[in-house]
Amino acid sequence: MASLTQAITAKTQARAAADYHRRLARSQRLTFLLLVGPALAWFLAFMLWPLVNMFYISTTHWDGLSLPQTFVFLDNFVRLARDPNIAVALRNTAIHLLIGIPGVLPFAFMLGFFMSLRKPGYRIFRTIFFSPSMLSVAALAMIFLGLYRPEGMLNAFLNAVGLASFTRVWLGNQTTALGALIVIDLWSGIGFYSVLFFAALSNIPEELYEAAMLDGAGYWTIMWRVAFPMLLEFFGVVVILQFLYILSGAAQNVILLTGGGPGTATLTLGYYLYDMAFLVQRLGYSQAIAVMLFFVGIVVILMVRRISSRLSY
Amino acid sequence: MKLSAARPFRALKRRPDAFVFGGYIFSILYALLIVIPLYFVVVSAFKNNTQIISTPLALPTALDFGKFVQAQVSGNLLRAIAISALVTTGTELVTLALAFPAAYAVARIPTRLSAVTEGIFSLGFLIPGLAILMPVYLMTARAGLLYNPIALVILYPAFNLPLSLILLAGFMRKLPRELEESAVMDGGNVLQIIFYIFVPISMPGILTVLVLNFINIWNEYLFALILMDSNNRTIQLALALLRANQRSVDYGLIAAGVIISMVPVYVIFIFFQDKIMSGMLAGAIKE
Repeated sequence: MASLTQAITAKTQARAAADYHRRLARSQRLTFLLLVGPALAWFLAFMLWPLVNMFYISTTHWDGLSLPQTFVFLDNFVRLARDPNIAVALRNTAIHLLIGIPGVLPFAFMLGFFMSLRKPGYRIFRTIFFSPSMLSVAALAMIFLGLYRPEGMLNAFLNAVGLASFTRVWLGNQTTALGALIVIDLWSGIGFYSVLFFAALSNIPEELYEAAMLDGAGYWTIMWRVAFPMLLEFFGVVVILQFLYILSGAAQNVILLTGGGPGTATLTLGYYLYDMAFLVQRLGYSQAIAVMLFFVGIVVILMVRRISSRLSY
Repeated sequence: MKLSAARPFRALKRRPDAFVFGGYIFSILYALLIVIPLYFVVVSAFKNNTQIISTPLALPTALDFGKFVQAQVSGNLLRAIAISALVTTGTELVTLALAFPAAYAVARIPTRLSAVTEGIFSLGFLIPGLAILMPVYLMTARAGLLYNPIALVILYPAFNLPLSLILLAGFMRKLPRELEESAVMDGGNVLQIIFYIFVPISMPGILTVLVLNFINIWNEYLFALILMDSNNRTIQLALALLRANQRSVDYGLIAAGVIISMVPVYVIFIFFQDKIMSGMLAGAIKE
């Protein structure tokens, strides 16, 4: 009898406890939504909703804010495929990527590894290497204007060392303009990523290095055989960061310094999008370029993720 | 046995090493490549155009602040700085007010929704600014906020939310469980727990977020370029326009503008270097 009552009480207690936990869970979920709600709403309204709009506008013909907007479905994308400027923009963007990623990351990694050895002076190097990353795009562009303009520092230097025949109007010359813009990204990018690599390498336990050293490995071997494999996944992250920057952010240098010229020498995908949207005012078409830019980004991110996670094991 | 094992390692560390030597050479070269252009800009602000062209790297002959005055006259930089300061302050406040409660929920309330939430916000890292530039412009125009700095205060928080939320949530995750348990026993509600317990204890995390957001907002160019006009320039727009305003380039003027525009960021950089670097690393990893 006593054991039966006990069993019943135990059962009701268990049910009460389960009930309590369910209610707690429900109230917790409500609290969660109330706290996250405002931030989420803000983010959805000003980041994801514009993205949805990008898709919608890309399916319309719209040649100016005050002009009528008509639905044309995929017409803009057909135009994309036929537009010779798109081919030029893709080519220039590809060149930028092919120099801007391999030209930055190996050097950044090696400098980051060297700093992570914490030899005397590494703090000064770290500060100097990081300082270009504090510059705004506008300041960066104005600094390089001072170097690249016809009477700028670069030509003055070439004249001074007797290489006057190498002087150029760097930003106004078909063959050098794109390269001049890419150099800006190398200049600041190597330093930025070297500090990121330095910070990431600082998380590697020192015993790993010591073990390799006892086996007779030098720093060079340790850098590529111990440190690099440990950072493979991080390397993938950095490739994605730099890729996205070149695809989108780097267009600001074009806006500030060359306007896509001379001719189409610095016409990149990102700049062409800006040009179509705000200067030529082909609004629908500009968003078709945006859709393309967005998907190129997503595809490459997925590819890099896949490769880097596969290599890591 | 142990002693002899330790010795060769130490010997290896002390030996002059070709790798370390090469590391210094490359580091010094790259450091020079960075420092020389920056030095060139700083000295150019104190020179006239002929001096800049003929002796670009020479020290200025006099500490003449004329170019700074001229930059102010030609670009009204002080007004632009005031607008940037207002936009930055407003954005910092809105971002923190939105991100902190959300980060608390993600870090401290056990529900499957927190992973979903983090997933949605990390989409923000994948959206290229250029892709949403035009739609954002249209939204702003429809809301009647074009050329109004308020538009930037509304917009910038959305850009800064993902990183802020992830950094703050990461910080709060590391705090001990007992923190809210004692408060719950005392009968405190969630908002009280957040304000009286988590905000004070999370100050280091909040500071990191404020510093990183400051740099992002102060330096932002692209959206300000299309959303503001000549009456409401941010400092970055005013700087870029110093060049457009003149027929032949007066580089000293531009150099003075660069210096004026960058002073706040570099002051913060000097004081919070480690926070900036570790914050950017944490952001990169989470992406």
